[in-house]
Amino acid sequence: MLGEALVIVLAGGALALVANALSPRGLQLGRNYFPAAASTTAGETGGLAATGASNPAAPKRPHGFPVVSRAEVEALLQDPGYASGTVLLLDARNDAHYRAGHIPGALQFDHYRAEQHLGVVIPASFAARRIVVYCGGGTCEDSEFAARMLRDAGVPAERLFLYEGGMADWQAAGLPVETGARFSGEIKFASP
Amino acid sequence: MKNACPSGCVAADVLALAGRWALGGFFIYMGLNKAADPVAFLKLVRQYDLFPTPLLLNGVAALLPWFEVFCGALLIAGIAVRGAALVVAALLVPFSLAILGRALDLGSAQGIPLCAVKFDCGCGTGEVNACRKLVENTLWTALALWLAWSRHGRRWCLHPELWGGR
Repeated sequence: MLGEALVIVLAGGALALVANALSPRGLQLGRNYFPAAASTTAGETGGLAATGASNPAAPKRPHGFPVVSRAEVEALLQDPGYASGTVLLLDARNDAHYRAGHIPGALQFDHYRAEQHLGVVIPASFAARRIVVYCGGGTCEDSEFAARMLRDAGVPAERLFLYEGGMADWQAAGLPVETGARFSGEIKFASP
Repeated sequence: MKNACPSGCVAADVLALAGRWALGGFFIYMGLNKAADPVAFLKLVRQYDLFPTPLLLNGVAALLPWFEVFCGALLIAGIAVRGAALVVAALLVPFSLAILGRALDLGSAQGIPLCAVKFDCGCGTGEVNACRKLVENTLWTALALWLAWSRHGRRWCLHPELWGGR
């Protein structure tokens, strides 16, 4: 029986490796999906004030990125730079959540599937002066990991901000969300 | 008939078949649920804070779901039944200990008793009551151990033992 169990463990492990490698949703075994929080960075000393925005006393968290409020994100949507690409909103959630509803005009950047997004996100991030990253809100950490990935890719840290309230906060306020693809034009209002 | 079941053991064999299929089906269902969204499972496994390196964490999150499906398929098909049941029991015990530890931590942090703790244990069925999950796992473990040690459970199998034929 122990011999059988050992064979099962070895065969099952091998099959699982193959299944993970073949699955389009498979994980990269060697990758660190949860990079540790950075110590002090340039981003901690910035805040939107440093780039001309409204909140010089943005609260900081150990992740090293300044945070922005819902009101600031609303203001950014009206910024002329949002249309021209110098202000960028990044949605760090997965496909299903993004398509179900995102902040209008936000670009998706699911860092767990970075290979699907970096080709668009990296040029857009280097072209932007301010990049606000958000995820689901609450205990969601994906916006932090996405921002770290961009910083590690060379995007200046002082351009990166987190909207910690995320979609939960946005929708709770009854603000408009865009469904489907970016700039789909399908706008709906969530009930607060 | 040489291998005929002695009088009175047919019921036990039927019970073993039902148990084998139930346990196998349970593992396939749970495994497929996890494999369908490995990132979500990865995040849940991370919450246990048991794996010190990304390779270990990713390995568990990526491979465990498919391994569970494999074990479940062996049980349902009746291949290496005792070995598969032993492996399943060996998985369930550390799972249950991890769930207990996490539930105790959450209960302590929230100031509530263990049986009031509800959380997504990463078991494949979303948020669960900790006590109910522990009882459920204990019953599955008992069933797996019975299948591993019992003489029953070898009827209606494709290949009950890897060595020694049917």
